[in-house]
Amino acid sequence: MPAFDNAEDRPEHITGILNGLDRYNPETTSIFQDYVSQQCEYGTYDCYANLALLKLYQFNPHLARDETITNILVKSLTVFPSTDFSLCCHLLPPNLLIPTPASSSGDLSEAVQKLTTLNTQLESCQFKEFWNTLDSDDLYADLIADVSGFEDTIRKRIAGVTSSSMRSISRELLEGWLNLSDEQFDTFVKDTAGFSIEGDSVIVPLNKDNEAKPTITRESVKFDQFSRVIRRAYEAPA
Amino acid sequence: MLARQAHYQHGGNEDDDFDDENILAASIVEAIQNEDDDPSQTLHSLQSREDDLQSRLQAAATPLEYQASLEARYASYDNYCSLFHYILNSNGPVELDLPTYYWAWDVIDEFIYQFNNFCAYRNRVAKKGQSHEEIASLKENQQIWGCYSVLNILYSLIQRSQMNEQLAAIKRGEDPNTVAGEYGSRPLYRMLGYFSIIGLLRVHCLLGDFTLALKTLDDIELNKKAVFARVMGAHFTTYYYVGFCYMMMGRYSDAIKAFSHILLYVARTKNFHNKSAQFDSISKTMDQMYALLAICVALCPTRLDDTIHSSLREKYADQFQKLQRGGPESLPVFEELFQISAPKFISPIPPDFDNTANNVDPMQHHLQVFMSDVKNNMMAPVLRSYLKLYTSMDLHKLAAFLEIDAEDLRTKLLVFKQRSRQYKWVEGGLLSGEVVNISDLDFALHNDLIQISEARVGRKLVDWYLRNLTRSYA
Repeated sequence: MPAFDNAEDRPEHITGILNGLDRYNPETTSIFQDYVSQQCEYGTYDCYANLALLKLYQFNPHLARDETITNILVKSLTVFPSTDFSLCCHLLPPNLLIPTPASSSGDLSEAVQKLTTLNTQLESCQFKEFWNTLDSDDLYADLIADVSGFEDTIRKRIAGVTSSSMRSISRELLEGWLNLSDEQFDTFVKDTAGFSIEGDSVIVPLNKDNEAKPTITRESVKFDQFSRVIRRAYEAPA
Repeated sequence: MLARQAHYQHGGNEDDDFDDENILAASIVEAIQNEDDDPSQTLHSLQSREDDLQSRLQAAATPLEYQASLEARYASYDNYCSLFHYILNSNGPVELDLPTYYWAWDVIDEFIYQFNNFCAYRNRVAKKGQSHEEIASLKENQQIWGCYSVLNILYSLIQRSQMNEQLAAIKRGEDPNTVAGEYGSRPLYRMLGYFSIIGLLRVHCLLGDFTLALKTLDDIELNKKAVFARVMGAHFTTYYYVGFCYMMMGRYSDAIKAFSHILLYVARTKNFHNKSAQFDSISKTMDQMYALLAICVALCPTRLDDTIHSSLREKYADQFQKLQRGGPESLPVFEELFQISAPKFISPIPPDFDNTANNVDPMQHHLQVFMSDVKNNMMAPVLRSYLKLYTSMDLHKLAAFLEIDAEDLRTKLLVFKQRSRQYKWVEGGLLSGEVVNISDLDFALHNDLIQISEARVGRKLVDWYLRNLTRSYA
């Protein structure tokens, strides 16, 4: 697994900024913003860089762009069940999550709270409700519009969660979780998720997370633990 | 000084030839001896210019009164600025041997403490809205104790001393002096630079940037032989913030490891420390860490060391039990413990003095984000207690036991599974890690049939064997 501070597709100039003091330079804001747009467009993801941008906003609130903030949050939804969404929230202005008279009427505050709802539903694995919420309001469609392939990425994540817990699951249930039906469902389940369909059940191949094999951890004994005993054996008069 | 440098170099080295216990004891003895040294005695023997710097350093390490006025806080900030400016921007490095290296820690520690305290003070003034004079003054002087200037000072101290380069060299097994440069080879710069890294860890954490906080420690090896371990306050602070950052990242097993490590260390060396002046503040932080540990263990059931476990039960028996039982009743306890044990978070920008209703206490903000994570996991203890009893179970039957809907239970099982897979540090930087199963319970769903498995720990024989072997020698 890659470390949190690494991202596969991170361009060199971003790496340079992140590793130096320029990450605090308000002038780099626009570079980071472009990078966020790029991530939205090409389906890449770099939480560590996005956090650096949120930090710049934190220090220079007048530079903050609502659209970029929501895009970062939407991107972080696509990697659930990681804690990235929470990490981003910690760097947001406090009055977005705890509405105050002035902020509760704001668009950004409303957007952030809507995204928080989505995040909660994903994190608590209420996938059917998640899709319902997403369809319930046009604002959601606006929020995810910039992130290309949002729905498919989420589906892949849901498939991942499913495969870590399930060996088989009813077709009807999984259809609801993935918000797909008929042929689209068949194609996704077989080709993208790698599951197979038998009648009304979807069969998930065995993997290390869903095998649920009882294990007994044995003590790992290192030679070092005996060093004192052995030393004494040498030192003791024969 | 030579001896100290040798220790310093040793601190970064990874060689494990030395017996931990011996090192531990030696460093404690030395720390106590250092404490007995009266700094003023050293002072008299120095020349007047140094004398001046000495006293300024000493002033910089002296705690500001809690009740200090706004003027006193401004003045203290100015003092720090001119002191650091002098150290950083004189013609060439300033000549001075630090009387002890924990002095450097005290300077940085107090500097950040005052910054933290100033932000809290500013928020209080805004909240009360009574003193118009103070409000006007705070509005006008926003750059004083500003985040940018505090970070600037810490980063400058690190860069002047080439500290990251030095630490990287030590890691590679090279001589740090080859990269230290004119400044970094002097103890004053070396120590201020080193502790500024720990200072950054702290400031980033206070601002809610937990990942950058951990990233800051990339070049520092976390072990008993690290330099910070030689100054009790620094040792303690480092583990507190590292543990806290891990906790906020949802890496509970790493957090538990950090907290247990330092708490065990203190428990073992308590008799050396309890007479020192530092111990009061340490014991307060210790209680906070026990509270954090209780939170983490409740969220990620882990077997603790016996000593730690009994102290935890001693301090927070009631709360710990409630946390472990889970359910909605546990939520207020999580909130309570979080609020007493989290650092005093800072908002990087001054509060809105005109519309005070807009100001949200940063603590409440972070608490809310954290609690949304906790709420999601609320049912886990109950679920666990049932899963432990069976090897296979029908979903509907278990749902009936729990008096919840079967589909609701299914999602809770999925959450349980996700929660049991966490990043755990293996090697390298603190941010790296691998996803591992941290739970002793695992399960798989075959449609509606839950198949449950348990990971047991085999009998541990080595300890028993060694103990008896030693006895037979005696």
